[in-house]
Amino acid sequence: MLSMLQYVANGIVFSSIIILGAIGLSLVYAIGNFANFAHGDLMTVGAFGAIIGGSFLTGYVPGTEVSIVGIPLSFYLAVLVGMVVATVVALATERLVYRPMDATPIQLLIASIGVALAYRGAIQLRYGAESRTFDVGRGGPIPIIRETIGVSVTQRHLVIVSLTVVLVVSLHVLLQYTTLGRKMRATADNPTLARVSGIRTSEVITAMWIIGAALAAAGGAFLGLDTLVYPDMGFDVLLVLFAAVILGGIGSVYGAVAGGLAIGMAHELTPLIPRVGAEYGPAVAFIIMVAILLVRPSGIMGDRQ
Amino acid sequence: MTAGTDVGERADASGDHALVVEGVDSGYGDVQILHDLSMHLEAGEIVCLIGPNGAGKSTVLKTVFGLLTPWSGSVRLDGAEIAGTPPEDLVRRGVGYVPQIENVFSSLTVDENLRMGGVARESGLEARIEELYGQFSILEEKRGAKARTLSGGQRQVLAFARAMVMEPDVLLIDEPSAGLAPSIVEEVFENVEAVNELGTSIVMVEQNAREGLAISDRGYVLDQGTVRFEGSAEELLDDSEVADLYLGG
Repeated sequence: MLSMLQYVANGIVFSSIIILGAIGLSLVYAIGNFANFAHGDLMTVGAFGAIIGGSFLTGYVPGTEVSIVGIPLSFYLAVLVGMVVATVVALATERLVYRPMDATPIQLLIASIGVALAYRGAIQLRYGAESRTFDVGRGGPIPIIRETIGVSVTQRHLVIVSLTVVLVVSLHVLLQYTTLGRKMRATADNPTLARVSGIRTSEVITAMWIIGAALAAAGGAFLGLDTLVYPDMGFDVLLVLFAAVILGGIGSVYGAVAGGLAIGMAHELTPLIPRVGAEYGPAVAFIIMVAILLVRPSGIMGDRQ
Repeated sequence: MTAGTDVGERADASGDHALVVEGVDSGYGDVQILHDLSMHLEAGEIVCLIGPNGAGKSTVLKTVFGLLTPWSGSVRLDGAEIAGTPPEDLVRRGVGYVPQIENVFSSLTVDENLRMGGVARESGLEARIEELYGQFSILEEKRGAKARTLSGGQRQVLAFARAMVMEPDVLLIDEPSAGLAPSIVEEVFENVEAVNELGTSIVMVEQNAREGLAISDRGYVLDQGTVRFEGSAEELLDDSEVADLYLGG
């Protein structure tokens, strides 16, 4: 039996991945005004962008074998490549599909299901259905942590959690203290008044897709680093992302962080419940979501009636 | 209906007109609200639009400000056609608009609301915001508070100040007194007059017709999407027919 702390450590790692996906999903809902069912598959696009793009880097860029926290530099560069790829794909989708449709939120939701299938199909067509792993070496548990508190934490886990913290804090600073961030919050709050004030909302929507897609790509690459990269990986976590976003208060970035933490933890702490196996993680996460929504129907951070 | 004798003059004198709306049809979706509506605003004026609910007063402002595109007719700003120009561009051409409802960003602070009002300013934003704080001390006191925590009157002041960050030449105000206590209404109207004296021409929609006309130079009485009466504010206040039909006797 693993210790309680071990499950908490696992929960923090999984929560980090969910938070990165959930933020983008919530941003698209707040500013783009629809529930984007392609967001999970955008994580897959980012993960494939990282693993395929990264493999090119290793061959052509010298010095990528240098390690940072036990992970080669090539991985960090690969994550950046994945972020760029996902951003380009998301912006192209917005220009070619969502914007020309000029449609209602429900129509956009349905279109996004088609977009999700297209992303997944295209990836599978080109790269096949098999699983891949990031080539970052074996890297077992860090001995000192294992010896002192009896929890096995790998260097991969440390990298995932610390980069997530960096990304979330950067987003917080952007939203609170920059003009772009204020424009994003203003547009989410009241899009008509934003235009009336002179905000060019199409620029805000572009920024929203760049941020959402880049974070999704990081989440996808981290999920791939923690487990495997395969065409269904993003779709498999999509419902968990929705649970996190709804629990946190749909449309709230801070709610997505809180909801992601709660759902990610519930997911990983499930084996602590007697007679319930880890395979029930998603079910327990959803039960917790329903229970919290019964008490707070607008979610943890939601303030809309 | 006022005789159309001044139509020729209007065309000749269009240099003096800050804003001209001519023969405009407009509405929402398939529903037509405005029928061949014409009005104008001269530089330096306050013009008040009055009339019953559903007369199309707010629709006039939304059509001028590009939130609706006129189906036909012309809207001109200083002689240049602006029909259908989006709001974010009109802001940069010296037009401001204060909506009647949802006119502040409720999840943003007072200070952030004012900053959003000035996104199109090229320079002098900080100085302008400080100037507005000097003018509206209640906003200075509440600068760090979320707009949703403000009272109705404070919110109206913030909505007004947000539009004033740009120092517009033409300001469109939709029912500034809606839902406010009489003492606060007086204060709001004083603010409108003060801004006008500093050189902003104003079109104001007002449900409180008598009070609105009292601070205005001219007025238009709208009914069923078109202008029924127009004239100087005194004329409209003295006209027995207007009084009977639209000013509550």
